[in-house]
Amino acid sequence: MSRLTELVWRFPSVVMAWRNLGRNRVRTALATLGIVIGVVAIASLGIAGVALQQQATTDLGSLANEVTVRSGADSDTDGVTDEQVDAIRSVVADAPVVPEKTNSTTLSSRDGEEAFVSVTGVTDADALYTVSEGESPERLRSGALLTNETARRLGVELGDPVTYDGRLYRVRGIVESDDGFGGSGSELVVPVAALDEQEQYDSVTIVAANGDEAQEIVSTLESRFNEGDDEELSITNFASVQENVNSFFDTLNLALLGIGAISLVVASVAILNVMLMSTIERRGEIGVLRAVGIRRGEVLRMILAEAAFLGVIGGVVGAAASLGTGLVIFEVLAGDPTLVFEWASLQYLGYGFGFAVTASVLSGLYPAWKAANDLPVEALRG
Amino acid sequence: MTVIALEDAVKRYHTGGEVIEALAGVDFGAERGEMVTVIGPSGSGKSTMLNLVGLLDTPSEGVVRLDGRDVTDFSEDELTEERRSEIGFVFQAFHLLPMLTAAENVELPSMWDTTRDRSDRAVDLLRRVGLGDRLDHTPEELSGGQKQRVAIARALINEPDILLADEPTGNLDQDTGRTILDELTRLKRDENIAIVAVTHDEQLVEYADREVRLVDGVLQ
Repeated sequence: MSRLTELVWRFPSVVMAWRNLGRNRVRTALATLGIVIGVVAIASLGIAGVALQQQATTDLGSLANEVTVRSGADSDTDGVTDEQVDAIRSVVADAPVVPEKTNSTTLSSRDGEEAFVSVTGVTDADALYTVSEGESPERLRSGALLTNETARRLGVELGDPVTYDGRLYRVRGIVESDDGFGGSGSELVVPVAALDEQEQYDSVTIVAANGDEAQEIVSTLESRFNEGDDEELSITNFASVQENVNSFFDTLNLALLGIGAISLVVASVAILNVMLMSTIERRGEIGVLRAVGIRRGEVLRMILAEAAFLGVIGGVVGAAASLGTGLVIFEVLAGDPTLVFEWASLQYLGYGFGFAVTASVLSGLYPAWKAANDLPVEALRG
Repeated sequence: MTVIALEDAVKRYHTGGEVIEALAGVDFGAERGEMVTVIGPSGSGKSTMLNLVGLLDTPSEGVVRLDGRDVTDFSEDELTEERRSEIGFVFQAFHLLPMLTAAENVELPSMWDTTRDRSDRAVDLLRRVGLGDRLDHTPEELSGGQKQRVAIARALINEPDILLADEPTGNLDQDTGRTILDELTRLKRDENIAIVAVTHDEQLVEYADREVRLVDGVLQ
């Protein structure tokens, strides 16, 4: 006997189980297929949930990190004053504080095409705007940024001039059309000096590192500026929206997993049926095993090992199929199939596999117990 | 020396409100190195008696002694241990496992005992019954006589004191039956075991050292 044969025979239940499954390959394959479908249902629905959630989070973008401060209802002024901006800066420490002045105008091209745009006067352009072409200056002193849709409509390209309030600005960067629900979608960004006639800022945006820090800033500012019911500054942040979205997706994921779990329950009923049938068919044979001195526990282990094999094979094949499905899901939803290899998605392959093995072994318990406890005299009679 | 004995054994079955007495007080014993045949018409209680002697079933009344020990009230798990170490079975229909080779079938009763490797003894036993060149054949590649030799080798793997045979030649032609009986006679001497065989076969009776006749649950 080779070393390997010797080694595997150290686990006789496993070897016997494997050979028994090989006796009726079609039945084994069909029982396994049920498990595969169950695993794919659980794992790919789980992965789909993750993909949807990631996509939604990306779409909400930086909104959750941003705190917007405007003049409050009880303020003496129409906007946020320089003193207030300085006070905000001193409170939030590290996070960029970006005061903005806003207006609106109509831009027109040489061939008469017109576009209504909101105008934002800002200095720290790079903190708020990501450009697809050109640059987003750290200090916007001259020139302008324009959203790409407006630029396309007016036939404006990098380096072309646009006119606002009688002055020319060269377009230095093209901004992605707005992501999220913050603005109108068409926007002209100019140096803050362009809106000099407004003394105060319309809004101040504070860019925090993440949603949690943003909420911390909100509460710090609230206690600093708004005592009691007195609202000197109106402070808003979308982190709570993000939280709601997250909790919605958690619920959705649970529902999807529930649907997947149902198919695995169906599969384990199929396993129960197959194992019960096969032990009834082999009743005489199991009687012989018991007669020649094989213990009840040994028969039990052998049949449980058969059920476990069905679960393990189904789990492995199912996990592989789910990984394939996951690649497709992420390609379609996020455009990047490799995102499936992140733990958030991969964990569902583990769940699927774990559920498959657990469900199969549980389904094997009754047939195994029944076969092991059959009296050998009765079993031999067949 | 008597290795297995039934003392005034009674076995009753309850079926559909009726009580059937399959054995009505049987005294029986078998010694090492002898072959005893149990003959009798069908329904006379032969199988019931073999089940008691083989520790597959327990009597309703009376005592079962194995090597002088009273094993009547042993639990199923204790009886399993005794069967494993003391008793070998040969069935009419051979009852080999189809997914195991001849050698693996012979090893089957000791397969779960990972402390002892019986593969050498399995090969040795198969050689002794003339199947040294069939070790890796599966049962479906063997003839009826060959299958029964594998079954006999399986019965002897754990060096039992008793070999029980239920119609061992029942599924074989006369010539093959004769070779099997020659084999059993030789092994009985070599291994110094008691053989108890239940049969209708006159040929088998010729080979027996002793025969007992069972009629209506009573030894004549």
